[in-house]
Amino acid sequence: MRDEAAVSLLFKAVAMLTLVVLLLPVVIVVLAGLNAGDYLTFPPKGLSLRWVVAFLGSATFMSAYVYSFVLALVATLISTVIGTLASLYLSRSRSGAAAALRGFFMLPVVLPGVVLGLALYIFYVTTDIGLARTFAGLLIGHVLVTCPFVIATVTASMVGFDLSLEEAARSLGASPWTAFRKITLRLIAPGISAGAIFAFIVSFGQFETTLFLTVPNHEPLPMAMYISLRYKFEPTAAAAGIFAIALVALSTVVSSRLVSLRRVFRA
Amino acid sequence: MSDIRLVNLTKSYGEGNAVSEVNLEIGEGEFFSLLGPSGCGKSTTLRMIAGFIRPTSGQIFVGRDDITALPPERRDIGIVFQNYAIFPHMNVAENIAFGLKLRKLPKAEIARRIEAALKQVGLAGYDDRYQRQLSGGEQQRVALARVLVTEPRILLLDEPLSALDKGLREEMKFWIKDLQKKLRITTVYVTHDQDEALTMSDRIGVMSKSRIVQVGSPQEIYERPKTLFVTSFIGHSNVLDVTVTGREGDMAVVVLDGREMRARGAADLKPGASAKLVVRPENILMGAALGDGEPRLAATVLSETYQGALVRYRLKLGSQEIVAERQNQAHVERFAPGTEIMIGWDPGWSEALTA
Ligand SMILES: Nc1ncnc2c1ncn2[C@@H]1O[C@H](COP(=O)(O)OP(=O)(O)OP(=O)(O)O)[C@@H](O)[C@H]1O
Ligand SMILES: [Mg+2]
Repeated sequence: MRDEAAVSLLFKAVAMLTLVVLLLPVVIVVLAGLNAGDYLTFPPKGLSLRWVVAFLGSATFMSAYVYSFVLALVATLISTVIGTLASLYLSRSRSGAAAALRGFFMLPVVLPGVVLGLALYIFYVTTDIGLARTFAGLLIGHVLVTCPFVIATVTASMVGFDLSLEEAARSLGASPWTAFRKITLRLIAPGISAGAIFAFIVSFGQFETTLFLTVPNHEPLPMAMYISLRYKFEPTAAAAGIFAIALVALSTVVSSRLVSLRRVFRA
Repeated sequence: MSDIRLVNLTKSYGEGNAVSEVNLEIGEGEFFSLLGPSGCGKSTTLRMIAGFIRPTSGQIFVGRDDITALPPERRDIGIVFQNYAIFPHMNVAENIAFGLKLRKLPKAEIARRIEAALKQVGLAGYDDRYQRQLSGGEQQRVALARVLVTEPRILLLDEPLSALDKGLREEMKFWIKDLQKKLRITTVYVTHDQDEALTMSDRIGVMSKSRIVQVGSPQEIYERPKTLFVTSFIGHSNVLDVTVTGREGDMAVVVLDGREMRARGAADLKPGASAKLVVRPENILMGAALGDGEPRLAATVLSETYQGALVRYRLKLGSQEIVAERQNQAHVERFAPGTEIMIGWDPGWSEALTA
């Protein structure tokens, strides 16, 4: 049993403060989106759903929202598969190459997004391989950016994974693929789900790398918000932000529920 | 007929060999132990039999079939690991059903077999428990049940008792042995614990530095060790410096502390060579216990250690030290430190080995 009093008052205070600081921007965006006034101001001039309705009625924003959703979904799917396979290799290989590759795979996280986007753009254009300003080109950028998050979480879930579990399955008659599917995959599923959530959130909010790779007239949501604010300082962008936050929060809650339910039933 | 046959089995890892040219024949229904110190290659040998490690060279036969190239899932060999490897995301029943489902048995048959297996290992009613709700001993029983329901041809056990506390270890030792006897399943058991190997095995293969150095029944291994390594690894032994002077029938003649005596010894002991004479502490006779047939040696008692059922003496014999043990029975003679006594032993219970 954990002793509640063991968590000191100071610790609680610091935790609360951190939470407030982290949540403040979210609150500001939500309130700004519910503004009754004509311009993006804070504190808002009264509350209304005026700009939420405007967002829902705006073809530009709605298509950007759907576009971002699809982009994030596909990018998540691809980087979850690639990232999981990469972590399996990284955590099982004993070769020196694996150690070097681990650092290499994490590079997109430390590299500024602008640099990565620019590099990809120059690469696409100079090689003329038909990826510049295409969905595929943009998708590649998002996979590069999101993959490290999957690798990090899945690798963490592989730490201490007991290989004899897989071997036991094999000697009980399972093929390598069956043993992997029924044992390993089940046990690292929470790590994979967490990685997928991360990937989705990162891709959905990605801005700097996207900047160089967007397809003309198909802006993802963050770009659409930025462009809209440059021309008119309307709260529609903030209303869009509410929906972005809602989607991210929903996907987090749903996925974590899925994971923990699976834990309850399976483990 | 032998059930498992290892032919020149070798596994090398770059620098050196983990297993070198192991040749073994294990009979049907036999309980065979691989015994040796840490790192001698026991697990590697076992894992080659199971199919998890591909041998560098050599072959593995089960019955008449060469299984060297078969993957583990097609060998029909069950293995219990040191940490039991219970699938943590499945309950006990699902763990046991794992192999049966892969064999596509009908549901009713699976349920029947799970129940029978749990009963057999004394865990009836444990179906719904998960790994974290089981003690070490219970996990081990589940691991055994999971393997045995699939009715494998061969059972492999890699130090299955080493994670248990001493009391449970004693209990499980006999339990596993009884189960094995009842099922008459060919079993290879890996351990570094001589007590386990001596009490459970039909035969023991002693390993040292990647090689099998002696194979024999527990009695042969304990009473007739062929090398100094086996002598010192199994139980305690006195190892005394002697000089070989000749042979008498199938016995060697050696000189210890200026006195000539006979000892069992291989024919390759050359007269004039120095050798080691090995005598177990419990075979050393002291004082009145000494019969007429045995050579007598004068020794001085250095210390006496009372150990309950046993009394242990450290004795000085010429320039060498020797340890003797005797049962602490009623009316047994005791010797105080400093006492001069006569000691000796039956030559048939001493062994001359090449130094
Ligand atoms: N994958 C490997 N790579 C390199 N060397 C290895 C590998 N596996 C085992 N070895 C070496 O082979 C030798 C035998 O190992 P093995 O695991 O068979 O020993 P063991 O007799 O089972 O010892 P223990 O009682 O400690 O389990 C050891 O020296 C070990 O370091
Ligand atoms: Mg071992």
